[in-house]
Amino acid sequence: MKNESTFIDVPADSSSAMKGKAPLIGVAKDHTASGSGGYNRGLSVFDFLLRLAAIVAASVAAGTMFTSDETLPFFTQFLQFQAGYDDLPTFQFFVIAMSLVSGYIVLSLPISVVAIVRPLAAAPRLLLLVLDTAVMGLTMAAASSAAAISYVAHNGNQNTNWLPICQQFGDFCQKTSGAVVSSFVAVVFFMILVVLSGVALKRH
Amino acid sequence: MPTSLQVTFLLTLIVSSKPIECGIVRNNNSSSWKKLAKESTTIDVGESSTMTKSRSHVVADDKKKSFVSATTRGGYKRGLAIFDFLLRLAAIVTTITASSVMYTAEETLPFFTQFLQFQAGYDDFATFQFFVIAIAIVASYLVLSLPFSIVTIVRPLSTLPRLILLISDTVVVTLTTSATAATTAIVYLAHNGNPNANWLPICQQFGDFCQATSSAVVAASIGIVFFILLIIISAIALKRH
Repeated sequence: MKNESTFIDVPADSSSAMKGKAPLIGVAKDHTASGSGGYNRGLSVFDFLLRLAAIVAASVAAGTMFTSDETLPFFTQFLQFQAGYDDLPTFQFFVIAMSLVSGYIVLSLPISVVAIVRPLAAAPRLLLLVLDTAVMGLTMAAASSAAAISYVAHNGNQNTNWLPICQQFGDFCQKTSGAVVSSFVAVVFFMILVVLSGVALKRH
Repeated sequence: MPTSLQVTFLLTLIVSSKPIECGIVRNNNSSSWKKLAKESTTIDVGESSTMTKSRSHVVADDKKKSFVSATTRGGYKRGLAIFDFLLRLAAIVTTITASSVMYTAEETLPFFTQFLQFQAGYDDFATFQFFVIAIAIVASYLVLSLPFSIVTIVRPLSTLPRLILLISDTVVVTLTTSATAATTAIVYLAHNGNPNANWLPICQQFGDFCQATSSAVVAASIGIVFFILLIIISAIALKRH
């Protein structure tokens, strides 16, 4: 009765037991994350390769249209018959738009590399998806408007009395048609890039 | 003796931080207590009960937190899905307007020669024909995609409908952009002509026809803006997972 020592059974083990329980949850999370990271990394590598191909397609389109000058061998006393991309405003728009598009893809290569290095980060992919959609719209606009003008140049329009100029300027028409085809290929690449980014965002 | 018990009990209440319901303090070193050792009972209930209680409390907290965060994420995505649905309705209106305005863009000039009456219609231009058919296809696609949008509203956390909508919206926005851009090129040519190719601007004579086709092009361009917003919404909703 005189000794006042006491033993207090404070449940000191519970905190350590709780601490022991926690890492189990953390380990499980890491395991699932690394599994989908490999798949996303593969998608990012394919994305990077597609971008390289799209650079080639877009720059070939711009370059071919830019150098599609033709001078006819005959000429009158005052006039030489020439055709170039700057004779048609639509083709001027085409050259400028495709140059912008190739510049954009070159600038987006670092972001794609970031997506390869960090396969689980969503921000680079979302940024690439939004920018790719906008640039795809621009590419498609340039490609299809040039295609419409090429169609009129090839076939003319009887109702409006627009004569087909491809009868005289054969090389010019060939080169511009080749440029239009190349830009449509670039559009297909962009579509695949957008779908890839969407699938990679979903598998998160 | 009863006072010492009360004192020790008070001491345990002050010292311990967690509530001990049944923890009883044992006093081992007093000889006078040995007589009562058989009768005294030590119940070590406090340890396990508080441990399980605190562990289950933590688990319940985690469950509640994940549930709360799930509903808030679901609420955010549901808001995006509703906005998506409304944008689709607006895009249906604009695309149907564009297609029908181009379809009915006819004009007959009041003067005519003996053999020829000057008419202009959408079927005089291959590009305008392509425009009417393509925008009509886009409008019917939008109507068919409304159920998918409703599914994303009802189940905000599922990603498969959103991915389907993203992919098909991308394809359709490409088609819309193509039709609109080609028609814009022809409308520009009709307004301004091209002196190098000797293509005369026909809008000088066919004023109403040119106006109607231009409005159709503007309506389709607004539809394209809606489509791009739809794609961005689907991408953001896919991201927050």
